[in-house]
Amino acid sequence: MMSALLRPERRRDALLPLLTVLLVALVLFMGRLEPLFHAAFPQLETAVYARESFWRLTLDHLVLVLVSSLISVSVGVAAGLFVTRRTGREFEPLVSALAAIGQTFPPAAVLAIVVPLAGFGFVPTIVALTLYGLLPVVQNTITGLRTVPADTLEAARGTGMSARQILWRVELPLAMRVIIAGVRVSVIINIGTATIGSTVGAQSLGTPIIAGLVGDNIAYVIQGAVLVGLLAIVSDLAFERLERRYRIGGEASA
Amino acid sequence: MIELQGLTKTYGDKTVVSDISLRVERGEFSVLIGPSGCGKSTTLRMINRLIPLTQGRILLGDEDVTRLPAEQLRRRIGYAIQSIGLFPHWTVADNIAVVPNLLKWPRARIASRVDELLDLFHLDAGEFRDKYPHQLSGGQAQRVGVARALAADPEVLLMDEPFGAVDPLTREVLQNEMRRVHEQTGTTVIFVTHDMDEALKLASRIALLDAGRLVQYDRPIELLTAPAESFVSDFIGKADLGLKLLSRRWVHQYQQAATMSSEAPHHWETDAQGHPTCLHGGRPTTDVAPSVAVTDDWTATPGMTMKEALSRMVWYRVGVLPVIDDAGRLVGEVTLEGVMGRQP
Amino acid sequence: MGLDAHDEPRRIANRVLATLLVASLAGAVLLPFAAMAPNRLVSGESVSLLTALRAWQVLGLAALAGALALACLVRPLGERRGARLTLVAAPLALLLTLYGLGDYAQRALTDASPAARVSQGAAFWVLVFCTSLMIVDAFQRLGASLWVRSGYGLLVIAAVAALFAAGTFNALSILREYFNIEDAFVAQFVTHLTLVGLALAPTLAIGLPLGLLAHRRPATRGILFSVLNVFQTIPSIALFALLVAPLSALGDAVPWLGALGVAGIGAAPAILALILYSLLPIVRNTQAGFAGVDPATREAARGMGMTRRQILWRVEVPLALPVILSGLRIVTVQAIGLTVVAALIGAGGLGAFIFQGLGQYAIDLVLLGAVPTIALAVVADFLLQILVAVSRPAGAG
Ligand SMILES: Nc1ncnc2c1ncn2[C@@H]1O[C@H](COP(=O)(O)OP(=O)(O)OP(=O)(O)O)[C@@H](O)[C@H]1O
Ligand SMILES: [Mg+2]
Repeated sequence: MMSALLRPERRRDALLPLLTVLLVALVLFMGRLEPLFHAAFPQLETAVYARESFWRLTLDHLVLVLVSSLISVSVGVAAGLFVTRRTGREFEPLVSALAAIGQTFPPAAVLAIVVPLAGFGFVPTIVALTLYGLLPVVQNTITGLRTVPADTLEAARGTGMSARQILWRVELPLAMRVIIAGVRVSVIINIGTATIGSTVGAQSLGTPIIAGLVGDNIAYVIQGAVLVGLLAIVSDLAFERLERRYRIGGEASA
Repeated sequence: MIELQGLTKTYGDKTVVSDISLRVERGEFSVLIGPSGCGKSTTLRMINRLIPLTQGRILLGDEDVTRLPAEQLRRRIGYAIQSIGLFPHWTVADNIAVVPNLLKWPRARIASRVDELLDLFHLDAGEFRDKYPHQLSGGQAQRVGVARALAADPEVLLMDEPFGAVDPLTREVLQNEMRRVHEQTGTTVIFVTHDMDEALKLASRIALLDAGRLVQYDRPIELLTAPAESFVSDFIGKADLGLKLLSRRWVHQYQQAATMSSEAPHHWETDAQGHPTCLHGGRPTTDVAPSVAVTDDWTATPGMTMKEALSRMVWYRVGVLPVIDDAGRLVGEVTLEGVMGRQP
Repeated sequence: MGLDAHDEPRRIANRVLATLLVASLAGAVLLPFAAMAPNRLVSGESVSLLTALRAWQVLGLAALAGALALACLVRPLGERRGARLTLVAAPLALLLTLYGLGDYAQRALTDASPAARVSQGAAFWVLVFCTSLMIVDAFQRLGASLWVRSGYGLLVIAAVAALFAAGTFNALSILREYFNIEDAFVAQFVTHLTLVGLALAPTLAIGLPLGLLAHRRPATRGILFSVLNVFQTIPSIALFALLVAPLSALGDAVPWLGALGVAGIGAAPAILALILYSLLPIVRNTQAGFAGVDPATREAARGMGMTRRQILWRVEVPLALPVILSGLRIVTVQAIGLTVVAALIGAGGLGAFIFQGLGQYAIDLVLLGAVPTIALAVVADFLLQILVAVSRPAGAG
């Protein structure tokens, strides 16, 4: 029974290093695949996107995602903590509702609204990603902290822990898995939205895709799409692994 | 009448029920009992074929139902379980009406049957008909569960530890109610429990199982007094065998005429309506007052078990209890000597 | 609400409302309320709220702000009556803000060149946002039911629609943009909904049986969910783009498929990608819905002599329905958003305006694509939320 449950995780664990290596290799050596793309699409003049190197595009993409995610996570967790403490409790229903309603907004539409209002380019895109990325983090932080059993908190208080100790030793460790799940959603969405960021002047792995779609160059499209798809899958697998580390015994896998 | 012939269940090479044969007469209340994991539920669930049988035959009346389509068979057999399993999206009335609906009874007949059953379980039809399961207490839900099982006048009612999950007080009430309903309806019942007191209280016959094997199938008194093997008396528990016996004995079986003569070692005083008011003498020890006023607490009724009567004697330190009828009039007495003087 | 941390008596009953009120006041004073530009492509000159609105409008907003301030306090109204006052004052402030903007645009453009444009500024958005949140907060405090909220929401929407119908906003830049492209807008709006519909129907047709399979055969779950999760993980534009190549090859190779519209660019890859995205939530929620049925209920149903089919349709499906519909809710909202991106591969829809606008730096055109998409997603979410509530069995408490 137990081994049957573990098996798919094992398989995916083996996948993570494999796909990471593949991603890095493709980022570094896409140019070497030129003959392959030429053979597949003989009608194309240039078969590999060359206006910018792929590692540069990947780096830009990662910076977009990392910077926005770092801000989202720190602000989001802080907000989640604030509204679950006594002083901020009054704000919790509204903040939860806001996070829930906000997530029904299409990320592409949010990007399209925020960016022109704040000017085109890199920084406005980060603002949009940060705003959108906040929502799942806030929501899951609140959910995670809310679902710590009242008995457990009571027991912690009973042992004479201070509020700070309860937070660090009991609440956060128990809520960690749910919070990480929120960060996972936020990061995966941001990887996708950053791709669209190339339409508002932020260079990313979406740039060759858009260039390919506009210039009718399928090879560019495939190169950008495969890289960004791999990046997303690798990140997701990594988060899954991280989440599992924080799984409390007995909880089922997602 | 239902008869099991050589019922056997194996999982792989593990036999969990082995060659069980028993016959439950019409109107009988038959209890399957035994230690946890001995195969009680498996046996019961083979009867309505929730579990396919590995071997054996089942006769319902004179009809061999072993090959009957399972659904058809189940609609002729009532089934009530510990976790009840009321349908949460249906009202109490819809829940009770499940099998009649499956059998396509006319609407009016179903409605009147639902009310009749609610009535049988002393649930006010007007109040409960349209309630949903989550609005019921545990005891009420279990009554509805049993009512649902009885809805289509099943030929047999199967019950798997139906009162196992309710608190002891409610369990006692439900057991009494089950006795009454069984007497009123005369339904044939096969009832699984692991609680010997429950079995002794309800059963007209007890089947004791051990490791998938039928050890003894007998009237309760036989089980107590003539155990087939040492496992039986071990399982029943030797320590309070005497008390267990008395729990199968009724006050009316020990009742004698009330002593009214003041010459006797003890005698009763009654008021004009015949209610006992005072007992003179009859106290087993001398450190208490020789006369004592009768209160409701230490009277007995003919339908009370002798175990309870004895318990009252001990508690109130009297050697004799007045037996009163429904109107509270003195109709006889039971004495400590009487309990001792009669072989079980 | 909860306990106060301090012993001193509280004066503010609703700190949320107080915060929102302060934020709106600060936004109204510090940020531009509108912008006036000589044509549609340049960003204009900022106009503050005090200069843009007429005196009576400013006084009206001030009075409503006063009422909202009163609603914050412990005395004389307290929390519940304060919330009721908020439910009157906040929508009035919202409507007055909307009306004031439209009114200003009309006045400002009477003597301006025909190319001149007036658009809404940050203060306007802040006021709309904060008053909406005030309403949400008031409802939470009153613990109002979904039905009361829906009725109230319809009323507010009707009032806004009346303003639209009366032509209040006709002078605004975004509406002038709309009038320029009215026919195209309607067509793309319909295309957007059609794409979503064409994707959801097959998703349900495939996803529901797969969900049931995942429930009945736990062994299939691991592989099924892993594969479907990969589709959810891949960025939308990448999935759309990756389908371009194989579908164009397919459309070229099989002429009758090409004639049916299977091509690398257009609706075919969009719908296919939307289906792949939508499967996971439907399959997972269907499985979870069936798994949520109490085993005792199923056992009882079997014991009563129901057939497998009867158990499925009379017991399992009704009990699992709310969870399944929650999956549909997720998927519908998600598909409305993803269809925006589908415009990049030529599938059309409201995203077409967004990307066209971004290309031309025409912000009104972007808003014309983005705002209706957001509205569509929020409305769909709300409607499906109601559907979920209705599908919940009466007995589920
Ligand atoms: N599907 C199965 N596969 C293998 N063994 C089973 C299966 N179902 C039941 N058993 C075994 O059969 C035996 C009898 O089970 P059963 O449920 O009938 O016991 P029981 O007498 O009702 O016990 P309890 O009082 O605990 O309810 C147990 O040892 C159990 O482990
Ligand atoms: Mg059992």
